[in-house]
Amino acid sequence: MSSDLSRRVEALLPRVERPVRYINSEWGARHASDAGHRTVLLYPDTYEVGQANQALAILYDRLNSIEGLAAERAYVPWVDMAAEMRSTGVPLFSLESCTAVVDFDILGITLPYELTYTNILEALDLAGIPLDATGRTEEHPIVLGGGPCAYNPEPVARFFDVILIGEGEDAVVQIATAHRDAKRSGLSRSEFLDNLAGMPGVYVPALYRPAPGGGVEPSGSAPPVVTKRVLTDIGVHRPPLCPVVPYMDVVHDRFTVEVLRGCTRGCRFCQAGMVYRPVRERSADDIVRDVMEGLRCTGYDEVSLTSLSTTDHSQLEEVLRRLTGRLEGSGITVSLPSLRVDAFSVSMARLVSGGRKSGLTFAPEAGTQRLRDVINKNVTEEDLIETVSRAFSAGWRRVKLYFMIGLPTETDEDILGIGGLVHRVQQAAREAVPASDRGSVRIGVSVSTFVPKAHTPFQWEGQIPTGEIVRRQGVLRSAMPRKGIDLSWHDADVSFLEGVVARGGREVAAAIESAWRAGARFDAWTEQFELAVWREAFAEAGLDPAAIASRSYQRDERLPWAHISSGVSERFLWLERERALTGTTTVDCSFDGCTGCDACGTLDVDVLLGGESRGGR
Amino acid sequence: MAAGEFRLRVCYAKSGRARFLSHLEVMRALERSSRRAALPYAVTKGFNPHMKAAFGPALPVGTAGEREYFDIWLTQPVPVADALERLRRSTPAELGIDQVRYVHEREPSLTAAATMARYEVAVGGEGVTAEGIAEALVTVIGEGRLEVERKGKTKVFDLARSLPEEVRTRSTGPLVIVEVTTRMGQEGSLRPDALLEEALSRTSVDGAVVSVTRTDILIEEEGVVRRPL
Repeated sequence: MSSDLSRRVEALLPRVERPVRYINSEWGARHASDAGHRTVLLYPDTYEVGQANQALAILYDRLNSIEGLAAERAYVPWVDMAAEMRSTGVPLFSLESCTAVVDFDILGITLPYELTYTNILEALDLAGIPLDATGRTEEHPIVLGGGPCAYNPEPVARFFDVILIGEGEDAVVQIATAHRDAKRSGLSRSEFLDNLAGMPGVYVPALYRPAPGGGVEPSGSAPPVVTKRVLTDIGVHRPPLCPVVPYMDVVHDRFTVEVLRGCTRGCRFCQAGMVYRPVRERSADDIVRDVMEGLRCTGYDEVSLTSLSTTDHSQLEEVLRRLTGRLEGSGITVSLPSLRVDAFSVSMARLVSGGRKSGLTFAPEAGTQRLRDVINKNVTEEDLIETVSRAFSAGWRRVKLYFMIGLPTETDEDILGIGGLVHRVQQAAREAVPASDRGSVRIGVSVSTFVPKAHTPFQWEGQIPTGEIVRRQGVLRSAMPRKGIDLSWHDADVSFLEGVVARGGREVAAAIESAWRAGARFDAWTEQFELAVWREAFAEAGLDPAAIASRSYQRDERLPWAHISSGVSERFLWLERERALTGTTTVDCSFDGCTGCDACGTLDVDVLLGGESRGGR
Repeated sequence: MAAGEFRLRVCYAKSGRARFLSHLEVMRALERSSRRAALPYAVTKGFNPHMKAAFGPALPVGTAGEREYFDIWLTQPVPVADALERLRRSTPAELGIDQVRYVHEREPSLTAAATMARYEVAVGGEGVTAEGIAEALVTVIGEGRLEVERKGKTKVFDLARSLPEEVRTRSTGPLVIVEVTTRMGQEGSLRPDALLEEALSRTSVDGAVVSVTRTDILIEEEGVVRRPL
């Protein structure tokens, strides 16, 4: 059956753009179609966007390492391929064995960002799986979600049978094993889901109903609050050392070792910094060993040491010295995803660039010290200017700066402050290079619009209205130096939709479904995004999207995501909000002592630096 | 080539679903194979050091190849049998490694030396016959010139020059296989599917090119035609 499907897929390939998206047999792909229990892992976007996703790579590796379990991959076909598949009756298929997705035991879908939600419906529909969990029968796979957006699951909750909150390394294996055992002992779909709802980190949306005061509550014995899963030590699982090596030129096409998880710098706008606590580092020995082994297995010519803030790793300098020594003369380079604004970071960048000085990236986020204190971004203008001077003296000619507009308490003065800061950075950069080289100095400025995210100190704040986003973008443009700046900003309509979907509750699902039915998909792709389709969809669902995005909540109101816990207490988040409004900063608990976020106590974990417990929480 | 370097020529295939890869994707995949094979590859000097390797003429997306080539420079000689075995173990089956051999540093580059290529074009469709295709090809070739439109540009090929060998047709099952040898070079390389599409347009049958495979890349030297390996 699957070989027949494979032939039908192959017949479509000459007719579509970039057929390489749909071919299997990349190096490192695992083929275990005879396993007793099979999961297909889907990234809700095209192959080139999703292939390098680390979360799915980890789960793929974990599931395929367990006897009797297996995992394959699937992606969302681009619109041309989807049209061909529909017209020829070809269902959504897995890459490895070209098996119809509907024939798997579990369909795992990661939730990377809000604008992929219509793609989830596109994938379910192409697979022939009912969109609503309640419409599925024993013949359909269990649809399991997880990932960053699971921290506000409600807008997509009814499309999933199960949503895992938190880290999946152990949990996904337990869920797959429990499902295999349930099938063996003849349990029905609903019996399995009822049982699973008791597993830590598991949210079964169908067992919850809208609560009178907002949000949702269990209708039976399911837990009222689902607390995230967390690994005590990420070192117990090695990173995927022989991941799939794509043929296609994909986003983040390099070998990756996650060197630490979590970040406790405490930036108040940052969801990742709150929900991935605590900080857990891999040891230097493990990192060096895994990088060398992974490069041998994959043949990549670049390795990236990833995390939310790699320059915070307590042994980074040692790791880089050992790696650059071992890789000398091989043409293989080490890269760091982003840099902290300090001298140490520049010296680390000099170590890794392998002679290349392509460009450095820093994120001051706000234009004035007042606003940087509000968001707890502990970076000063002096730090930034000094860091840039140092980098340009050392030979760099390009720097990219990230900022946000629409942060709580922001005034036009703060936006004008971005222009002033960029101007002074430009001056410092020009002064640091020889006169003959000044023409090559490039400053990139990327400005996104703040979306107040669940489980952050700003979760109670509404998003600023679209008209105001557009006005502030105008202020920003007028404040920028005229020459030598490459300014880019996020589309206001896209930010607005992100705000609605990130802040909405269960009611938003109807609008997502309407938008998909009206043809919305790949909304993160500029050429595909149409706000008009979404406006129509919200109207059809009887919703006012602006009211959802801009709604502020009182302390005693129930938030749409109140049944989900990252371990960080609401009490701490509110305290952080209060400190923000008075411009009071908070220290980083990995270095300066506990700040009382409650994550370690709730989750029974501790900060791990260099593979050693810091202790004394 | 720097002193102390050894130029290893590798013959590989581009088959199965790998025919849907672009030239750049094939290059990257084989460079990764070479690293996985732990060959002692040389690295270029300069701003952006990378593996020293050079590939033969590109194949388009969708076209398969039976004997394609690349050169890789090594810093130490590895016995041929050993290099072949290591490359085979580290390369996906669809890019199967067929043969390796050291070539002299004075050997011209693959792209400069390769001047001819042989193809097999499979044509299918209702009423398509080897005789019908052969007849249409005689007509087209007899006209002496072929205009090919690609990406909005029209290119004119002198067929007497572009087709150095006789075109042959044969039937296998429902398909007609057409063997075409074309000349390639800086003046442009005639794509065999363009020739067949023109021929098909002269027939009354509803035929189409089903697949294109480059079976050989050839070097002409003082009147002698030979393979790069």
